[in-house]
Amino acid sequence: MKRKLAVTSLLALALFVAGGCELDEDSVYVRPASYVAPAIGKAAPEFKAVDTYGKAHSLSQYRGKWVVLEWLNHGCPFVKKHYSNDVMQALQKKYAAKGVVWLSIVSSAPGKQGHYSNDKANDLTKEKGAAPHAVLVDESGTVGRMYDARTTPHMFVINPQGTLVYMGGIDDKPSTRASDFKDARPHVDIALQEAMAGKPVSVATSQPYGCSVKY
Amino acid sequence: MKTPERLPDLQIRSTPRHLRAVAAAAVLVVASFAASAAHGEAVSTPHVRAELLLEKPSVAPGESFDVALRMRMKDGWHTYWKHPGDSGEPTDISWNLPPGFTAGAIQWPYPQKIILTPLTTYGYEGEVMLLVPFKAASDAKPGTTARVTADAYWMVCEKVCIPEEVKLALDVPIGAGPVAPSGPAASAFASTRAKLPMPTDDWKIAASEQDGQFVLRIDPPQDVALDGNVQFFAASGPLIEYSAPQTTSVDGGVVTMRVKRSSYLTGAPKRINGILLAANGARGGGPAAFEFDVPFTAPAAGAAAPTDAAATTAVPPTLLVALALAFAGGVILNLMPCVFPVVSLKVLAFVQSAGDDPRRVRAHGLTFAAGVLVACWALAALLLALRAAGEEIGWGFQLQSPGFVAAMAFLLFGLGLSLAGVVEVGTALTRLGGTGSSGYRASFMNGVLATVVATPCTAPFMGAALGYAMTQSAGTSMLIFTALGAGMAAPYVALSAWPALLRFLPRPGQWMVRFRQLTAFPLFATVAWLAWVFGHQTGIDGVLRLLLGLTLLALGLWIWGQWVTLSAAERTKWTARTAGAGFIVAGLVLAATSAPAATAAPSSTPAEGIAWEVYSAESVAGHRAAGRPVFIDFTAAWCLTCKVNERIAFSSHEVQQLVKARNMAMLKADWTNKDPAITRALAGFGRSGVPLYVLYDADPAAQPRLLPEILSPGILLNAFSEVK
Repeated sequence: MKRKLAVTSLLALALFVAGGCELDEDSVYVRPASYVAPAIGKAAPEFKAVDTYGKAHSLSQYRGKWVVLEWLNHGCPFVKKHYSNDVMQALQKKYAAKGVVWLSIVSSAPGKQGHYSNDKANDLTKEKGAAPHAVLVDESGTVGRMYDARTTPHMFVINPQGTLVYMGGIDDKPSTRASDFKDARPHVDIALQEAMAGKPVSVATSQPYGCSVKY
Repeated sequence: MKTPERLPDLQIRSTPRHLRAVAAAAVLVVASFAASAAHGEAVSTPHVRAELLLEKPSVAPGESFDVALRMRMKDGWHTYWKHPGDSGEPTDISWNLPPGFTAGAIQWPYPQKIILTPLTTYGYEGEVMLLVPFKAASDAKPGTTARVTADAYWMVCEKVCIPEEVKLALDVPIGAGPVAPSGPAASAFASTRAKLPMPTDDWKIAASEQDGQFVLRIDPPQDVALDGNVQFFAASGPLIEYSAPQTTSVDGGVVTMRVKRSSYLTGAPKRINGILLAANGARGGGPAAFEFDVPFTAPAAGAAAPTDAAATTAVPPTLLVALALAFAGGVILNLMPCVFPVVSLKVLAFVQSAGDDPRRVRAHGLTFAAGVLVACWALAALLLALRAAGEEIGWGFQLQSPGFVAAMAFLLFGLGLSLAGVVEVGTALTRLGGTGSSGYRASFMNGVLATVVATPCTAPFMGAALGYAMTQSAGTSMLIFTALGAGMAAPYVALSAWPALLRFLPRPGQWMVRFRQLTAFPLFATVAWLAWVFGHQTGIDGVLRLLLGLTLLALGLWIWGQWVTLSAAERTKWTARTAGAGFIVAGLVLAATSAPAATAAPSSTPAEGIAWEVYSAESVAGHRAAGRPVFIDFTAAWCLTCKVNERIAFSSHEVQQLVKARNMAMLKADWTNKDPAITRALAGFGRSGVPLYVLYDADPAAQPRLLPEILSPGILLNAFSEVK
């Protein structure tokens, strides 16, 4: 009995200490057995998150609108390729004009690449001329894990009925070189054009590429 | 005597010392000339030191030769293979070549899996040499030097990724004719070539898709021996789920791999290409890689399902093999400590009936078999019903409930007492079944009893067969349980069917009384073991209650035995029966009111020297990510085979030393009480019972190995010494 108590107290202390400290290693995440991965043609997982201005967002509140989810990390060279060449911003503006709700999601854990304070994140958005509807803060990685977001950028397109119509890479050139843009097939741009015109999406999935999401 | 022998040594050492120094210097100078010709200046970025290398001191005009880009990554950082996997970008070289020179595509040595959960990437840590085939200009002038420059680009990552670009240069001396490779880099070229994937033109590789998994059937030619330690690296995406475990089975030299399809692949893929890395595929041992690019075909009709290669793979056996294993397991079960005491009861009955009508003996044998089979079917039906109801169960689950353990303890203690003579044997057996000629009921009940007590023991072969059964349809499970029952009953049916064998049994006599009393002791030993299991489940207080309950049982049985006799008065018998029953019930109630222990502390065996940790999926992943080899001991308090293994194999001093030397993480998964996480882990290896021993290499991408169910220090030493 005494030994059990001692062990339990030590364990509790260890957990307390570990929780307080910044974990240097990538914490090992074990997916629950009940997890259902997002799939094309199925309902996109419902999520709730707060943006950099403290406002709450949920997927269900945008029912009736087209939604694009963009996993973001401004420190990642692949993301830089799109932002430095104004490619991502142009896409955001083009579709904002059509009423698409573009949500940039940062799933970087505190202390890891891509994680910024809300003020800094807002500054970066302005600096880069980005035009998302909101930048959502997903420090705990909950939304990222729900969508199995693996890389930055990793893109999802959801129709007004809440169904997932595209998931994967932003285009088909998994590189950091700007010279690749001219030959790249912009999967997300084309998927949005096709889906919004009521046509079936010709390429509904593609290999997501980029840096790993820093959970 | 010594002096003259020493002189020659002194002479050799002292005289040419300065000459040797000059020679060394000369060699160094020459070598540096050769070296500077054979490699360009190394360029360092914050994370990578890169240089271009030549294999030979000079190349002839028009000669084909290799140039290497050697990259030495900072500790903890890695660069990528031609197909990086979940994230990353491959190294790229663009050449500025002198006129007439041509350069081909990068020849990539096989990569390693770099796991950054939930992503898996293919790349290189430490150092890599990327080979590029060159051809010198046919009009190059011997005696001159051709200057080759390159813009090398790579993505180097640790936790964050950094793209880096450097300019490299290499001076290629042109010689008159071809020369052999020499110089400091020559051996590095040779060892890198050994890491290049080899062609598989004479292999038979078939790819098909079944249930969201790609099935690769790989049939190498005679001169290549593949074992289960193979990994597939896809060379394009989206195709496979890079992080999903790949299951492998080997059957007569043919390797079948199951690889999960990527969630980012829609529609039916046309082809699958990539490399197969075989940890022991090279001719002299050691790793070798093979590349292939094959189309997808429909799965071959009647393609052999993988077979169980003596517990070295995690894939379940075919039905026939499972049946054979179940039968063999059943036969061996008779020797297991759980069953043996009940076996002794049966042997006794045989001895008694040895002088009887052989037909009756045969009938008894068959009745015993019937009892075993009916009990097996009832057990199978119960397990299937529980499985259908969604319970996570495995073979041996019954002994996870303290109530059942206590009941078994009471039953066996009572039987032991009756054998010892506390209660009249005849009377006791009357309880079980009819007397004399209708002792068939006794035989039947013995069969049932034998099966019931056998459940916690997993005999060799039985585990794999039953694990397979639990994953199959109801019909198949029933068949396998039938085979198990048949195996258990087989020795007795054989004994009863061949009267000739009975001749070897001695004639009845006084010795029978003593033998009967002697057989009580294995039963008492089993009760002691059950009490120990009970103790793990309910704590030491629970054991006290159980023992007191058993004492009351003994008292009740003694009363019964003393006063319920043929010659006693009806009232005496009635009083005795009531009193006896009262004590027995009191005993049962006392034992039944033991509360189970709040948390199952790991049933630690005093295996001094090995620091066992409690098993969890997270700790396994954590240790593997840290590069430690991991050993998992799936055990339970009621599993005697497990305990014997632990006692014999892990107490070996050499094993303990080896565990420390290899920095192995030793995890114990205690399945004594219902633990759904452990049941699932067992199911993941195709098993539903214990013991199970799983060994993971230090390489985070290696597949697990299953060790045999009966361990010896030798087996552990062999297995652990192969761990890297």
